This record gives sequence, structure tokens and C-alpha cells, in this order.
Amino acid sequence: MPLRSLLLSKGDALTRRFIMETLSYLVPLFQVDVLWTIALGTLGGLVIGALPGLTATMGVALLIPLTFGMTPVMGLNMLIGIYIGGIYGGCVSSILLRTPGTPASAATVLDGYPLAQQGQAGKALGMATIASTIGGLIAAVVLASLAPQLAGIALEFGAPEYFALALFGLTIIASLSGDLLKGAISGLLGILIACVGADPISGISRFTFGIQGFASGFAFTPALIGLFALSEVFTQIERMASKETPVSLVKNRWPSMAEMKESRSALVRGSLIGTLIGIIPGTGSGTASWISYNEARRSSKTPEKFGTGHMPGIAATESANNAVCAAALIPLLALGIPGDVVTAVLMGGLMIQGLAPGPMLFQTNPDVVVGIFGGTFIATIFMFIFGMALIPVFSRILMIPRRLLTMSIVIFCFIGSFSINLNPVDLYTMVGFGVLGWGMQKFGFSQAALCIALILGPMLEANLRRGLLQAGDNVVEFLSGPITLLFLGLTVLSLGWPLIAKLLARKSGPRPELTE
Amino acid sequence: MTVVRQYKADLWIGGGLCAFCAFAAWRTLNIKQVVSPTMAGPSFVPWLMVVVIAVLALCLIFRGLRRAQMAGAGRSMSLPDRRSLLRIAAFVVLLVGYAGAFYPVGYIPSTLVAFVIGLWLIGERKIWVLVGFPVVMTCAVYFGFTELLSVWLP
Repeated sequence: MPLRSLLLSKGDALTRRFIMETLSYLVPLFQVDVLWTIALGTLGGLVIGALPGLTATMGVALLIPLTFGMTPVMGLNMLIGIYIGGIYGGCVSSILLRTPGTPASAATVLDGYPLAQQGQAGKALGMATIASTIGGLIAAVVLASLAPQLAGIALEFGAPEYFALALFGLTIIASLSGDLLKGAISGLLGILIACVGADPISGISRFTFGIQGFASGFAFTPALIGLFALSEVFTQIERMASKETPVSLVKNRWPSMAEMKESRSALVRGSLIGTLIGIIPGTGSGTASWISYNEARRSSKTPEKFGTGHMPGIAATESANNAVCAAALIPLLALGIPGDVVTAVLMGGLMIQGLAPGPMLFQTNPDVVVGIFGGTFIATIFMFIFGMALIPVFSRILMIPRRLLTMSIVIFCFIGSFSINLNPVDLYTMVGFGVLGWGMQKFGFSQAALCIALILGPMLEANLRRGLLQAGDNVVEFLSGPITLLFLGLTVLSLGWPLIAKLLARKSGPRPELTE
Repeated sequence: MTVVRQYKADLWIGGGLCAFCAFAAWRTLNIKQVVSPTMAGPSFVPWLMVVVIAVLALCLIFRGLRRAQMAGAGRSMSLPDRRSLLRIAAFVVLLVGYAGAFYPVGYIPSTLVAFVIGLWLIGERKIWVLVGFPVVMTCAVYFGFTELLSVWLP
């Protein structure tokens, strides 16, 4: 009734048509096979995220080939399910093993593992599940409301704006990688690697060494599989000699009302921080959870309890890292710029389905966009159901033998890389990027910066050259638009961020560190 | 694990990056030029990247030298020991061989052989795991991809 009166009072036939169209795009989501696929994706992501060393990025990269035969809505929502389940699943080994399943859950160790030692692992996992669900749902609402508005604005963007936006995405990920110098080198190396193949303007081949397979550049998905999945295999081989940590016992699962009340503000704040950080291109869940944890501790009346097994600590980190999942889809869908590394891999999934992420997607494929909005909600709800139901068996998932798992990942890496283009050269690309990724990891270079640069590099180059061509090589004219100047200002700010962060950290005291 | 000083690693990496930039610059010289109304031709961005990476690599070297002079010489980092490194090198060789055999030999035989050798390389010695698991896994994956997901495998 309220909806009807609203429609009648406005008398706007267009609004009514818009709502009816939106609802019609949501209907396919409730077909049994689509729901099954999202459920399986979420469950698979949860298991992948729970296992130490297997990240959500790796899960999405490895399982992209499963979506080849699916419709775009089905395939993309399966990948989103893996993403959401994977980020959530990271908390399992953080709490039970003191080893973060994914980098996004590193901050959860601080309060999760002490709770497990106190015999409250089940409650800690329960709080993590509830917090992840709330964070995910809040961010999904923001995704559905903000992405179309942002896409509307982005339709006005030209070459200078896209160049400045790509530059901003690159600098922010470099500055957040811990070491600005190494982050910047990783990003620039990524742009240089992205130059391999045909020049986007003239078609002249560059750095192909006469190899026909490189004529169109390095295949994107095999490169990402190598960077994030195969590199992790090498790391696992290195750790093969180390002893496995004993798993904590799991009892109970529901936090008490008092604990929920105590964690209320950390939950809401974490969800909002995660959503905001997710929207910024190039950032990710790991950053969001640390900022949220520090904010929760700073604003708490009992900051001394943080790090000793305090429920608000888990609520803050888990709500933030899962809020990033939906929020990171906003820049991807609206601007064609990935919000974090997992959405960068998801971008590969979109391209395989023949879809180009960006503002035009809202006009050409509104069914897919609305399907993704709806799928994000459904995957979050599945994550809650599976998360709460599986708490008693999580400790068994962690007992899967590491050697068998490692070799199985290798097989999936090969199938995933080959089946995209049926090109054997992609297998060498994957192995090469695997070795590169492992080396970068060892020496503290950001794989995420390289990955984002592989995506943003071609966009940056094409728009820079097109813009300069239009402006007659006049750099001032090229960069003088208000939106361009705004993004360039943000770029300068992000480059100065490590210095600002150092000053802030000095002011607020030392950050808690994970110790062996 | 072998522990090395961070500054030493930075010096080596900085040097390696400078050498890489020299190589990339030589390859960039070989990019064909086209008649264009703009300064931004096909080699514009590669040159830009090569120059900036070289400058940052020099910064990395200078930072390393400065840290070397500091008391305690800064942080340390752990690298794999000789044995782990050899194992990883052998694994990379196996993967390159697997990549070469995947298409011409076919998925099932190449995967079976790579799976068994890989498991052995990472320390599995139980014979029933070494043989049984690869057979089951390889066949299950083949069936799943080709029959259920309609993904073609050689």
C-alpha cells in the first residue's frame, strides 16, 4: 500500500516502469539452479577462505572456468558467492589456528585466538558470522543505491577523467602496500608488463619477441592465477616442513545478548568503515579491518580489553572486511575500476562473459547489474546460514592434508589457465607469473599493485594518449578539467598518505602486531 | 630458513631492476615508430615506465646504502634455505614440463605423471596416497569439467 500510494502520489509512470523492470530483473535470481549455484559458490568460498594459504582471490581466480557454460547472472553471482564466502571464511583459521585464512582476517587473530584459548571459539565464530552478515548487508544496500548514481556521473567522463582516475587507483594501492617505494615499483612494473602485445592506438606490436602467443599481450586471467594461486603453492611448499598448529575445540555458537550489545557500535562503525574503504578504488578488506579495529579500540571505554579476547574486536574487523566485498563492486560496476584485488579478478569473469564493466553496463545490461545487486544480498544470506550451521565442523575442514591440497590447486591452476583461450602459451604465462608473484611476496613487493596495474595500465595508456591527441599535446589543457583536478588532488594525497599515517600512528600509539 | 638483512636484499633487487631497465630500454628502442600528430607514440608509455622504474630502483639502492650505515643495519627478512630452494626449483621445472605436455600429450596422462612427481617432490611417501589420490582426483576433475561443466580438455 505505501509503495502504491507513493507511485500514485508522484503520478510518475516512469518510476513505476523502473520499479517493475527492476523487479523483473530480480526474478531469474530465484530460479532453483541460480540459487544452487550461488549457494555452492558461497560454500566453496567459505571452505577456501577457511584453509590457511588459500585466499578469496585464489578461489575466484581458480574457479572462473566453472562459469564458462553459465549465464552471466548465474556465473557472476557464483563468483561473488566465492568472494563473500572466502573473505568470511578467513576468520575460521584466524580464530582456531591463529593463522589468518586470508589477509583480510589478520586483525581478527588479535581477539579471536585469545577467545578460542578461553574455550569460546564457537562464540567468536558466531560473532564473526553475525558481524560479517551485517557488514555485508549494509554494504549491499549502499551498492544498490550508489552504483547507479555513480555510473550516471561517470557517463560524462572523457579521456582526461579516466586517466586521472586510473592514476589515482594505482597510487592508492601503491601507498597502501606498506612500502611506498616497493609498491610504486610493483605498479609501474605492472604497467610495463601490460604494454606487451599490440599497441592500443596504432596496433604496432611491442615486446612480443616474435612469439605469436603474446601478440595480444599476456592473458589476464592466467596471469592472475599465477600471481595469486601458484605463488601461494610455492609458499606452501616452503612451509611444508613446519609443524601444523593444533586446532581449538569448538563449542556453542551464539554470542550472548550482553556481548551483542557491547559490540553494537563496533559493528555499525566497522560496516561503515568497510563500505567507505571498499568504494575507494584499489584498497581492500585487509586495510578496512585494521582501520576498523583501531577505531573500535580508540573509541572504546575499555581499550585495554582489546587483544585479550574481546568480542567488539571481532565485530569491528569482520563487519569491515565483509562490507568491503559489496562496496568494492561499486567502482568496478560504475567506473570499470576494481575496488580491490578480488574484484580485479572478478573483472576477468565479467570480460569472459563478454561484458565490459563501466557506466555503459548499466545501459546495455541492466539485467546483469540488478542481478549482481540481488546476488550480493543472497550470497550474504547464504554465508550467514552456512557459517552458523558449519561452526561445529570448521575444525575438521582445517585438517585436510596440506600436500594433497597443494597439488590439487596446481591442477586447477592449469585447467583454469588453459580453458579460457585453449592456448598452451597461457600455461607458461601462468607459471611465469607464479614465480614472479612468489619472488615479489618474498622480497616485500606488492602483488596487488602489480595486479591492479595490469588492469589499469591499458586504460591509463589509452586515455593518456587519446587525451594528449585531442589536446594537441597541451598537458595543461589535458589536465585542467575539474573532475580531473579532483582525482589528481586525491592522487597527491594518496602519495602523501604513508607520511600522514605515520604521523597519525605516532599520535595514537603503536598498532598491535601479530607475533609468533 | 636463511635470514638476510633487508638492506642487502634491497641493494641486490635495486641492481637487478637497473639491469632490467637497461634491457627494457634496449627493447623499447626496437618498437616501430609511426607518423603521429602527437608526441605520445607507441613507445611513449614504455619509455616513461622504464625511466621512472630506473629512478625508483636507484632510490631503493640509496635507501639500502643509508640503512646499511645505520646502527643495527635495520630489519631482517627470512628467505628459503638451500634445500627448500632446490625443491621449489625442481617444482618449477616440473610445472614447465607439465605446461609443455598438457596440450600435445593430453590432460589425463600429463596430469597423472605431474601429480605423482609433484606429490613425491613435496614429501609424500605413502604409496597408496602417491598413486591412488592422483588417479581419483585427475579422473574426477576430468569428468566434472568435461561432462558436467562442458569445458573442453585435451
